[in-house]
Amino acid sequence: MYTINLLNTQFMNTELTSIGGAVCNETLSAGLIFAEGQSLTHQNKEALWEIFEAIGASWANTIYNSNNQRSSWYEMLKAKTENAPNYAGEYVNAIYVINELKAMYGTEDAYKKLFFESGIDNNAPPTTRLAHCKIYVVNEFIRMQITAGGFKSWGTKYDGEQARNYHGFLGGTRYNRTPRVRAYNPDTNNHKNDQE
Amino acid sequence: MKNQFDYIIVGGGVAAATTAKGLLEHRHDTSILILEAGPEIIAKDRRFWWDYITRGERPYTFTYDQKFEADSTGNIDYQTDGVRVKAYGGSTMHWGAWCLRFRPEDFNLFTNTGEGADWPINYEDLETYYNDAEAFLSVCGDDNANWVPRSKPYPVPPFEWTAADGEMIKAWEQLDVVYQDGDINPGTKNKIKSGKMPIARYRKCMTTGTCKYCPIGGRFNAQYVLDDLKNDTRFINFEVRINAPVHQVNASSKSKIESVTYTDNLSGNEYTVKGNTIILASGAYNVPKLLRASKNEFWKNGIGNDHDLVGRFVVSHSMLNVVGKAPSNPNGWFQEYDFPTLMSHSYNTKEHQKKGKIFMFKNRTTPNVDIAQLMIDGKTREEIDEIVYGEMTINIQAFLEEKGKYSNRLEAKPGKDRFGLPQTTVHFSRTEEEMKNANDRLKLLEQIIEKMGLEVISSRVDKPGGHHTTGTARMGTSPENSVTDKFMKVHDTDNLYVCSNAAFPTGSAVNPTLTLTAMAFRLVNHFIEKQTNQTNSKTNNVNKRNTIQECLSGESN
Repeated sequence: MYTINLLNTQFMNTELTSIGGAVCNETLSAGLIFAEGQSLTHQNKEALWEIFEAIGASWANTIYNSNNQRSSWYEMLKAKTENAPNYAGEYVNAIYVINELKAMYGTEDAYKKLFFESGIDNNAPPTTRLAHCKIYVVNEFIRMQITAGGFKSWGTKYDGEQARNYHGFLGGTRYNRTPRVRAYNPDTNNHKNDQE
Repeated sequence: MKNQFDYIIVGGGVAAATTAKGLLEHRHDTSILILEAGPEIIAKDRRFWWDYITRGERPYTFTYDQKFEADSTGNIDYQTDGVRVKAYGGSTMHWGAWCLRFRPEDFNLFTNTGEGADWPINYEDLETYYNDAEAFLSVCGDDNANWVPRSKPYPVPPFEWTAADGEMIKAWEQLDVVYQDGDINPGTKNKIKSGKMPIARYRKCMTTGTCKYCPIGGRFNAQYVLDDLKNDTRFINFEVRINAPVHQVNASSKSKIESVTYTDNLSGNEYTVKGNTIILASGAYNVPKLLRASKNEFWKNGIGNDHDLVGRFVVSHSMLNVVGKAPSNPNGWFQEYDFPTLMSHSYNTKEHQKKGKIFMFKNRTTPNVDIAQLMIDGKTREEIDEIVYGEMTINIQAFLEEKGKYSNRLEAKPGKDRFGLPQTTVHFSRTEEEMKNANDRLKLLEQIIEKMGLEVISSRVDKPGGHHTTGTARMGTSPENSVTDKFMKVHDTDNLYVCSNAAFPTGSAVNPTLTLTAMAFRLVNHFIEKQTNQTNSKTNNVNKRNTIQECLSGESN
C-alpha cells in the first residue's frame, strides 16, 4: 500500500516542482480549486493579462501584439468565471505562483521558467499550486492564444504563405472576401471531372 | 399529460426532426410526440465551446456507449463505443456532415453481385428526395461533379481543396487506375477522379474546425430543427419528451400497433402513450432491440420478427487507412479545415461492387502540427519551426463497403445502459475473401501514397465502426426476406414504421445520413398521400351517404 502511494505521488506532479518555492510547491487536490460565487478583480485580470502577453512574447507568435486578442481573451475569462465550474480560484492561484517566481527569478526569467522549465507533467493530475497554474491556466491560455491567431506566424520562415485557419479560429464567414484557407488551384486540365 | 397522438416518434435525431417538420408543415395541428431516451445538451454555449478549445472536452461524450454497455463477438472487433450520441438531436450533435448520395448500383447489390440485398426501390425513386435533403441540410457541393445523376444543383457551393490536397490530386491524375468507365453513361469514359467533398454547412459557417461542437450553429444539428418546431406557435400539438427511453411497443392485434411504453428517467415512472402511427427513428442499434423486446400474444418473437430477421444483416464500413511520410514540409502545410475536402469515387462504381466498393478521401486532419501542444510541452520557437517544416505525414483513407450477412447480428444483451436502454452486443465476422479484398484495396491506396513520393509507414484495415451501422431492420419485398416494406413499414403491421439506417438493405461505401434524410422526406410524402387518400375516402363516403340520404328522403318525399 505504501509503495503504491509513493508511485502515485511521483506521477501526480508533487516531486517535480523544482523551480518554485513554498507557494509553488504547496500541495492541492487535483480538481479545480473551488470558487463558486467568486469573481476576479480588475487587478486580477491585469495580472493574468501579463501571463497571456508573456506567451505571445516568449514564442514570438503574435503578428502585431497580443492586444489584438484581448477581447477574445476577456470573453473566455468571462465564460470561465461566470459559469460553473468557476475558474476564479485557478486564476488567483496562478497569480500567487507567478508572483513567487518573479520574486525568485525576476519577471523575464520567471516566465521562461514557467513556460519552458517547469518540470510539470502535462498529462498527470496537478497536485501543487505550480502544476495547477501550468495545467489550468498557462496551457489553456496557450491554446486560446493560438486559436485567436497566434498560429499565423508559422509558415513564413521560407517566404511561404501563412496558414489562415486553425482549430477554433473564428475567421468570419466563408462568404466574405478573405479566403479561408491556403487553397489548391490546379491547372485547368487536371482538376475537372471532364470527359474524354 | 396528453397520452394520445397522431404520430409517436421514438428517437430525437435527424430522422425524427425531418419527419416531424414535414408532417407539421403539411398540417399545422398534427399531434406529434417525440420520445428521446437521452438528455438535452445545450448547443452553441460559449463556455462549452471554450472548454472544447482549451481542454478538448465535448459536453455530450458522456452519452456515448461505453465498452461495458456495447460490445461485440466474432472474428473481428466491431467498434461500438464512442460512435453515437444518445441525446436530444442524436448523433447530429457530433457528425462530420459529409453528405454523399448513394449511387444507382447501391440499390441493386444482389442483382449485380449475387451477394447482399436489393432495395425495393431504385435510385430514381429517391432522387427528388435527395434534392430535398440537400436543401434541408444545406449541402455545399460541386455542380460539375457527374458521378451520380442529379436533377437539381447543390444548394451551396463547395469548399475549396486545401493546398495540402494538391499533391494527392496530382497522384490521382497520374494513376491510370482512376479512370473508370462511367456508370452514368457507360461507354462515355467519364472520368471519375478528384472531387470536392460535399459537406453540410450553412453559409454562416466560419470554418473554425470545431465542428464537433460548433459555437455558432454553422452545421446542421437536429436539435436546432426540434427547437424551432417547439417554438413555432403554429405547431400547438407538437411535444418532445427527453429522458424517456421507450422499452415496449404494444399491439392490439397482429396488424394494429396501439401504443408505446416508456420510462421517465427523472421520476422513474412508467407511461404508455397511444399513437395512430408509430415511427421508430432511434437508429440501427435501438430499433432492432426494441422490436425484439416487444413480444406479445400476436408477435411471439417480437414485432416484425416472425422470420427471425430483426437485427440481422448488420452492415457498416471498414476504414482503410494508409499513412505516408515525407522528409520535409517546406510549405508548412496542414489541413486547415477539420473536415476532408478531397475525395474520389473512382472505386465507388458498379465495376467494383463485387469486390467491395471503396470511397477514398484525404484524411480530415493531415498533414497537421498541433502548435499549441508543442508550446505546452515547452518546445521553443526554433524547435517548433523545425517540426513545422520537418517530417510531414499524410493519410489517405477509404470506407469499404460491406455486404449484409445473415449471421452478423446486433441484439440486446442483459442489462440496461445509463439511459435505460437495453445494452448492445454485435456479432460480426468477416470471411477470408472479404479480408483479402480489403487488403487488396489497401494496395491501391499505397500506390497513391507512393505516387505522391511519400514513404508508406502504415497500412491497415481498421475495425468496422458502428458510426454507419445499417441493415438491422432492412427493407424488402416480403416478410421472408426483410423486416420492412418499401415505405419502411414493418411487414404485417398497418401503422408501425422504421425511419432509420436500420431499414437500409445496403450501406454503399459512403456516409448514410443524407440517404436517411431523403428517406425521411419520402416517408413524409407517403404519410401525406395516405392522409389525402383517407380524406378523399371520407369525402367519398360522406358524399355517398348524402346521396343515399337524398335518395331516401326523395323516396320518402
